[in-house]
Amino acid sequence: MTEENINPITLEVWWSRLAAIADEAATTLLRTAFSTIIREANDYSVVLLNADGETIAECRAGIPAFHAIMGVMTRHILEKFPVDTWRPGDCVITNHPWMATGHLPDIAMVAPIFHGDRLVGFSATAAHVPDIGGTPTMGATELISEGLLIPPVRIARAGERNQDFVDFLLDNVRYSDQVLGDLEAQMAAHDVCRRRVVEFLLETGQQDLVMLSTAMHDAAERVMRKEIEALPDGVYRSSLDADGVEGQPTRIECSITVAGDRMHIDYEGSSPQVNHSINCTINYTTAYSIYPVKILLDPHTRRNEGSYRPITVSAPEGSIVNARFPAPVMARHLTGHMLSCLIYQALAETVPESVIADSGGAPALRVQLVGRDAQQKPFSMILFACAGMGASSRHDGLSTTAFPSNSGSGSIEALEVEAPILFLKKEYRPDSGGAGRYRGGLGQDVRVENITGAPMRVALVGDREKNPPVGILGGAPGAGGRATFSHGESASLKSMTMMPADASVTVSFAGGGGYGPPAARDRAAIAADIDAGLVSKEAAIRDYGYDPTDTVAGQ
Amino acid sequence: MTKTTRIGVDIGGTFTDLVLHDDTRGVTWTGKRLTTPEAPGRAILEGIERLLKESGTSIDQVHSVVHGTTLITNTVLERTGARVGLITTEGFRDVLEMGREIRYDVDDLHARPVPVIVPRQCRIGVPGRLRADGAEHVALDEDAVVEAARVLVEEQNVEALAIGMLHAYVNPAHERRAQALILERYPDLLITLSSEVAPEINEYERINTACVNAYVQPRVHGYLNALESDLAATGFTGELYIMLSSGGITTVREACAFPVALLESGPAAGAMAASFIAAGIDENKVISFDMGGTTAKMCLVESGKPHIKHEFEAGRLDKFKPGSGLPLKLTVVDMIEIGSGGGSIGSVDDLGLLKVGPRSAGSVPGPVAYGRGGGEPTVTDSDLMMGYLDADFFLGGEMGLAMNEVEKAMEERLAKPLNLENRVVAAGIQEIVTENMAAATRMHLAEKGRDPRQYTLMAFGGAGPVHAYALAKRLKLNRVIVPMGAGVISAFGFLVAAPSVNDVRGYPAPLARVDWDTVAGLYDDMETRARALLLSAGGNGEDIVVHRSADMRYVGQGFEVEVALPEGPVGAAMQAGVRDNFERAYRDRFARSMAGYDVEAINWRLHARVPGRDISLAYSLVDTPAVRGERRVHFAGFGDCTAKVYDRYALKPGTRIQGPAVFEERESSFGVGPDCSVVVDANFNLVADIEGAPAP
Repeated sequence: MTEENINPITLEVWWSRLAAIADEAATTLLRTAFSTIIREANDYSVVLLNADGETIAECRAGIPAFHAIMGVMTRHILEKFPVDTWRPGDCVITNHPWMATGHLPDIAMVAPIFHGDRLVGFSATAAHVPDIGGTPTMGATELISEGLLIPPVRIARAGERNQDFVDFLLDNVRYSDQVLGDLEAQMAAHDVCRRRVVEFLLETGQQDLVMLSTAMHDAAERVMRKEIEALPDGVYRSSLDADGVEGQPTRIECSITVAGDRMHIDYEGSSPQVNHSINCTINYTTAYSIYPVKILLDPHTRRNEGSYRPITVSAPEGSIVNARFPAPVMARHLTGHMLSCLIYQALAETVPESVIADSGGAPALRVQLVGRDAQQKPFSMILFACAGMGASSRHDGLSTTAFPSNSGSGSIEALEVEAPILFLKKEYRPDSGGAGRYRGGLGQDVRVENITGAPMRVALVGDREKNPPVGILGGAPGAGGRATFSHGESASLKSMTMMPADASVTVSFAGGGGYGPPAARDRAAIAADIDAGLVSKEAAIRDYGYDPTDTVAGQ
Repeated sequence: MTKTTRIGVDIGGTFTDLVLHDDTRGVTWTGKRLTTPEAPGRAILEGIERLLKESGTSIDQVHSVVHGTTLITNTVLERTGARVGLITTEGFRDVLEMGREIRYDVDDLHARPVPVIVPRQCRIGVPGRLRADGAEHVALDEDAVVEAARVLVEEQNVEALAIGMLHAYVNPAHERRAQALILERYPDLLITLSSEVAPEINEYERINTACVNAYVQPRVHGYLNALESDLAATGFTGELYIMLSSGGITTVREACAFPVALLESGPAAGAMAASFIAAGIDENKVISFDMGGTTAKMCLVESGKPHIKHEFEAGRLDKFKPGSGLPLKLTVVDMIEIGSGGGSIGSVDDLGLLKVGPRSAGSVPGPVAYGRGGGEPTVTDSDLMMGYLDADFFLGGEMGLAMNEVEKAMEERLAKPLNLENRVVAAGIQEIVTENMAAATRMHLAEKGRDPRQYTLMAFGGAGPVHAYALAKRLKLNRVIVPMGAGVISAFGFLVAAPSVNDVRGYPAPLARVDWDTVAGLYDDMETRARALLLSAGGNGEDIVVHRSADMRYVGQGFEVEVALPEGPVGAAMQAGVRDNFERAYRDRFARSMAGYDVEAINWRLHARVPGRDISLAYSLVDTPAVRGERRVHFAGFGDCTAKVYDRYALKPGTRIQGPAVFEERESSFGVGPDCSVVVDANFNLVADIEGAPAP
């Protein structure tokens, strides 16, 4: 195989080989991890990068948007540890939100891949560990109270573990066994990447990944440029109002400029950063802007840095989508997940067949339950459950499905084995899907009872209470999220409440927005929704102008 | 008359395969008939009748008929099952439809989830609640149960019922009480309890399994009862056994109670046949490789036994996308199946790269070479161009292959758009299909902590032998075995499978706090049931072999490793041994362990079986010249070679042949390059050793 001559057969074979390596390593991480957040919420990433720190293969599972950060993060680390300082067996760790995935619980690692004496590339991982220290309060007003900040440091040097650092870290976190277990799981994934890439190079007789990564990047970039070029040039705008923080709603402005085969996404005009953890770092903003564009325009090409090159992202420094260090960022997803909505709203008229309405899970609503069991043993549990997705030109939105993240839902039985709580309900939330030609996906109602015999702390981290997910191209909004306690209190979705013994809380997850005018909905589909109890007859009459006596629909 | 003849019947989508074998008389016959979907029993009866006649066997010599079928898989895939009702815990009727709440394809904004098996109108929650430890929190509302059943049966017209309640795997009392109440009113209603079909933790998968069982049950009942009486009408007085997804066989009665366990009975047979052959020649580490028209299936066979797993996804929307199907708690032979078969189509994607599969030309229109209207070049077409297949001797000469058409299609559809030479593209199809299968195999083995280089490849299915040499080279294996009769070998799996039982009880507990009396009680219960079943399936009680295992993990993890329990009575004395076995199994799989971390067991499993049968497959050689001629064959790494072509049916045991060579048999052909030497062993297997790939 000569330089700049890699034929379409070899490229296909080698590309799929590298993609499989990232997937295999991701499986190892997932199977050996201890954190429920990694497992149930798929909160991790594994990628392979070339020697310049550009991703060449990204695992298919995990949090899809995260993979786009791994290249940026690796290049940050290379600024501190230049290429010529790396040795085989090194591993650098960091959780710096302005370098890595945007908040402290996400531990990122980068390890070199050497072929003989030559540094041919890197593997990078990120995973959300169960604890990173800090004060368990809602909406910390500064980064330092959100936990321990780890600048890029070598957790291993030339194969030798930096035990001093590991000890230091573990003494500063809760659930240190689980944290260590997760670090080991990440390192196991790096082992897989290194071993498999070296095997690959030996088998193919390649000295490095330069030619291959160039070919992969060029191919992916070419397709993305072609897709962007197919869009009419112009500036496409949208804006979104969010609940923000108490007394301080936030607004995000988005303008997408398409010029030839390039796309620029800018958030000029968005609210300034706030003294609450909902600020995004620019890395996070970039990743959550690129992912929705990638799957909108080019869903088929295996992801790598080439796909991202034609897309640039900017936001005013000091804004909520480009916060200055050391802003609090713990709940940055409350802002960042919404960017997908802005992008699809902006492009709705341009690619109406591809976009979806706002999703109830943008942003995801998290519920944390903390207390002590009858033996006074402390427990802390995160309740994962999903809101409804926005509808599209082809289908009703998916009920109880996360977007743009991909967190799932744990088993009720398993959660009840682990913690002294009792679920009373987990059911679709009727009438929560936004009306439209296609209906938004339904959210769900989850009711949990405190059976510990003592008060239990319930922390809610969400948005979209006062500003429900909106519809698209004439579709109506879905129902917003909310939480109500049996002892009479109604709590904001950014709150901490002590729930008395035997009391219960009902958390209602938002529904997705509808697509197209409700009047255009198929009458038989409305009747079927009523029949299944997904839409009430009253709502059908009100929102769709449904006539129950209509003979066709009434069948 | 002594009953010494056994018959295996496999109903596939297109063909019903039959095999008749009698060790005492040294008789083996195979047959093939078109499947008759409207009355599947007809092809069976006609096929059996013909086999009996051909082999000179009378019906009362037949000891047993072993049957496997895709009927159940297809019922789920095509959604032609019964209308099912679900009675569940109040407040949780949507759990079945919500599933795991994930997107199985994060790159596809428009991917749809697999449709739920029971519509919302037919899911009713009733008051009554157990806690995680099985204690009653709220008593079962019996009136509500009766009313729910009334609505489902009389208003919703359900044909079968599933009952699935929270924590029923620990305490089945509510499910059983509900069943009794309903049977009082509807004594003939088919009812599946989640606590019986899959007594494991995780409500979604368990209740889903109960619902799928109920969904296929009425069809299976009707079908098996009809088959039984049709067989009886022919004078058959032997036993009818049904193949299980786990690779064992069971009674008709058990199959009717838990038909969901039959879902993967067809593929299981192939793996059982490979296991039997591997055991017979002392190959302890084998990858069985079954490649047909649309897919390739790989299975790890160690010490003569296929790997099994305890979860399975049925009815995938996209056959090759995990997560797009219905997850079930089910013991199945652990196989990976990918979209690489003889009919897999070569195409050029958006990036200008050559892709092969998963789209398949199937048997209609089929590859271009078949001349039945197929216009898109496939793997089989590439096989023909590369010289692996003989245009004049395909299917023993019954079907001529159209080389000119193949070259034209390859040129127009692929070579021109790719701007490459025709033969380069044909070789490229080989390379890509090989890499796709190698990647899937590597991943499958990696997940088990295995190194492929230590394994022998056993190839069968029509396309398996054709691609075995290239796959072995890519995986760096040094041995390939191709059993005689590659196209029909699967059916022998029915003859060598033994009656067996897989059972499980969910009892999650940290190892240090396990109540061993409870565990012993669970095993007593499982073993009593298993023994009764095996006795009814012809076991004699003394030859029953019992294995115990547990699904275990470090406390806090979410994925379990199956760990064998030490031999001896179940009790606290085995605790240290269990821990050791776990550490070993974990290290085998992940190459590391976590010293000092607590360990927990989730499920306790029992596998009981009677020993498998040993059969000898005798073949008689044809008395014609072994060498058919020579032809140009392309081998990766060597380019075009002149290879001798052999008639496999004329090769005597002990014959040694140096590659390049091609071995042809009726349903398949096996080509090896110059670095390979092939021996015909005593069982007529072709054993090919590849040079320069020493075991690591």
